[in-house]
Amino acid sequence: MRRALVALLAVAAIGSLAWAQVTITVAAGAVGQELELTKAGAQRYMDSHPGVTVNVLETPDFVQDRLGTYLQLFEAKSSDVDVFQIDVIWPGDLAEHFVDLYQYGAKDVVDQHFPAIVQNNTVDGKLIGIPWFTDAGLLYYRTDLLQKYGFSDPPKTWAELADMAKTIQDGERAAGNPDFWGFVWQGNAYEGLTCDALEWVKSSNGGEIISPDKVITINNQNAIDAIDRAAGWVGTISPPGVTSFGEEQARNMWQAGNAAFMRNWPYAYSLGNASDSAIAGKFDVSPLPAGPNGQPAATLGGWQLAVSKYSQHPDVAADVALFLASPAEQKIRAVEGSLNPTIKSLYQDPDVLKANPFFGSLYDVFTNAVARPSTVTAPNYNEVSTKFYNAVHSVLTGQENATDAMALLELDLQDITKAAIPEPPTFRRGWGRTFGSGPSPMDRHRRAGRSRWTKRIGTSSGLNVAEDARCSLAWRSGRPSCCSFPPSSSSS
Amino acid sequence: MEERTAILLLVPSFLILILIAFYPFGQVIYSSLTSARFASDEPTRFVGLQNYQKLLSITIRELPLKRDANGDVVLRDGVKQYESWVRVLPRQPYRYREVFEVGLFGKRYVVGAISADFIRAIWDTVVFTVIAVLGETILGLIIALTLSSNFPGRGAMRAAMLVPWAVITAVSARIWEWMLQPSRAGLFNTVFSYLGINDGSTNFFGDRHLQLPSMIVMDVWKTTPFMALLLLAGLATIPSELYEAAEVDGASKIRQFFSVTLPLLSPTLAVALIFRTLDSLRVFDIFQIVLGNQRFSMASYTQYLLIGQRELGMSSAASVVIFVLIFAFAILYIRTLGVDTE
Repeated sequence: MRRALVALLAVAAIGSLAWAQVTITVAAGAVGQELELTKAGAQRYMDSHPGVTVNVLETPDFVQDRLGTYLQLFEAKSSDVDVFQIDVIWPGDLAEHFVDLYQYGAKDVVDQHFPAIVQNNTVDGKLIGIPWFTDAGLLYYRTDLLQKYGFSDPPKTWAELADMAKTIQDGERAAGNPDFWGFVWQGNAYEGLTCDALEWVKSSNGGEIISPDKVITINNQNAIDAIDRAAGWVGTISPPGVTSFGEEQARNMWQAGNAAFMRNWPYAYSLGNASDSAIAGKFDVSPLPAGPNGQPAATLGGWQLAVSKYSQHPDVAADVALFLASPAEQKIRAVEGSLNPTIKSLYQDPDVLKANPFFGSLYDVFTNAVARPSTVTAPNYNEVSTKFYNAVHSVLTGQENATDAMALLELDLQDITKAAIPEPPTFRRGWGRTFGSGPSPMDRHRRAGRSRWTKRIGTSSGLNVAEDARCSLAWRSGRPSCCSFPPSSSSS
Repeated sequence: MEERTAILLLVPSFLILILIAFYPFGQVIYSSLTSARFASDEPTRFVGLQNYQKLLSITIRELPLKRDANGDVVLRDGVKQYESWVRVLPRQPYRYREVFEVGLFGKRYVVGAISADFIRAIWDTVVFTVIAVLGETILGLIIALTLSSNFPGRGAMRAAMLVPWAVITAVSARIWEWMLQPSRAGLFNTVFSYLGINDGSTNFFGDRHLQLPSMIVMDVWKTTPFMALLLLAGLATIPSELYEAAEVDGASKIRQFFSVTLPLLSPTLAVALIFRTLDSLRVFDIFQIVLGNQRFSMASYTQYLLIGQRELGMSSAASVVIFVLIFAFAILYIRTLGVDTE
């Protein structure tokens, strides 16, 4: 018995000597060909580094589920996973769990990548993740239908898009396809709607929800008009069900040949040209249209590789991450999987361009993509985004008008970003307009402020939400001349 | 002596119970009293009952009539307009939001809550539970009565009946999602548009009025077999002599059902009801899979608090609230249905 035990221990000791090499685990996505591509990359690293074993861990497809998995590992300070594939919106929220890649040799390679993404991944001067592949919103359009209805170019403005979509939709329906719609996009209440709506707003010169210097800018007339415009598409050029569409629902409709235009990510390109697609060879992509007073905007998506602070071998893990994100590896992923590289020079690479012709023509779209305000709102981006897409969704489904929805959103965002807010005026106090006689200070404000706010109040449904929100803002920023009710400190 | 042996024998199971039930639950109660954040190094503070206050605070305020600058009531299409709730509900120390508005005796009231989503989730979950369990019970009873009678192929039918129950919920939720697609790619929209009921673009999961009914239909489809199975077992215990005696006394089939079947089935029915009610108060999967962050059940809101907002303290408090609510339902059932607790 005892001898057996000794033998067992000896075997274990020899075994552990043989395994005295480092094991690195990479938590990676498995959408489409992602997993095979990552496994192949891990194998190439192992071939050149015999002392290291790289395991690839498959993580859930849905972003929110993946975040949940990661958070559980972080909560336990687990060293089970060394390298994490993280979404472009996570560096701010998750920064405290990752090492600074600048201290592991990222300084030498970071200039090869798109500066906007590097900027996004930098938190307090630390590089949280090395960019791996990028994404940007694109307009897919049917070349055959545009030609059939006499349009030479894809639309440059949202108004043009609506006109073209209507013409094509009417024509195709008359030609016998009752299920045809002009424009499909992502309208469900989820992160995808934040991306779409940010494009509408930004391309109409309506800001980026929360500006990089942390000002809540969403409650402005351009943004309100942009969201109203999108609400007008629902049921006219877009199916009523678009308010429960995600990427895949939009792509299914588009790929079945039932839509003239689609807003989607680059991944739909290779799938649309696959042999089972009804529209193979009949479509192309262009930058998204712009609003009346703006420039086209595409929301930045994509994934980074970050190294866990709880890893037992952060140096090796960082080396693996930098290897997987290197130009040679990104090129393979671009050619084989249509995953957009984050390396500038690869957009001139003939092999990459042969596999994805639009990479070259839309280079500007990818370099100028607009980041969601994730870093500036960290660690509360998820909450901010949830409030934003729910507010937009309520406008799209007609529960709320855009003016009130944006005013309420502004209040919500103030709460989340912990800005002080005064107590509301009670009707017994100070509101002469209701209970007293003569014009109240609020009335004076309303007259005086007409030039500034009339348009908004005029288009409101009759609620005074916009006005109220604006007044709280004024109190907070020390501009009490705007409104009349007292702040909470003096109201008791 | 015998007593001591009994206690000794009970100790292991009691220890296991402490380890797997009381300890985690105590942990949840403890963290519900703190400001803990999930997966974060932020220092945790003891906040007392503040999380519960934030979750459960409700207020009712009267909405004043909307008046223009001259003090006249604003009318739109002949209907009196009311002020927005934003003006009426308290803002300090936490902002209240609208849960719903009601008109009563010619006045208009707004119900506000700090966590309006949670209050709505409680309401939605209770409505969901009551209607779904009622539907399952009635349909399950019909199926059980049918399957308990003698007919050829009864065994095959009993097996076939169990299929929805056997399908993993995540899978069946996806199947229903496809069938209820908002275009003619979905089965229901195709059938409805052929029948002329709609135009083939009903948005079952996007329209607020159709979300709960869709969830209820999915749940009834899935759990009716479970109900039927339990009731079938209950029916098997009723001796056939009773029916023969009733037959001799000249009782009709309907009379037999109400005087023999139902009273003798009621203990089984009570157990089945408790099972299903407690289960559906905890409903998570179909809400999470199909509605995501659009509309919550109590459990999916707890998950959103934990993962979406990373508020471990609030999320624990919400779990405790759910526990208390389920406990209350259980006691209510045991009292009213007279389940034998001996």
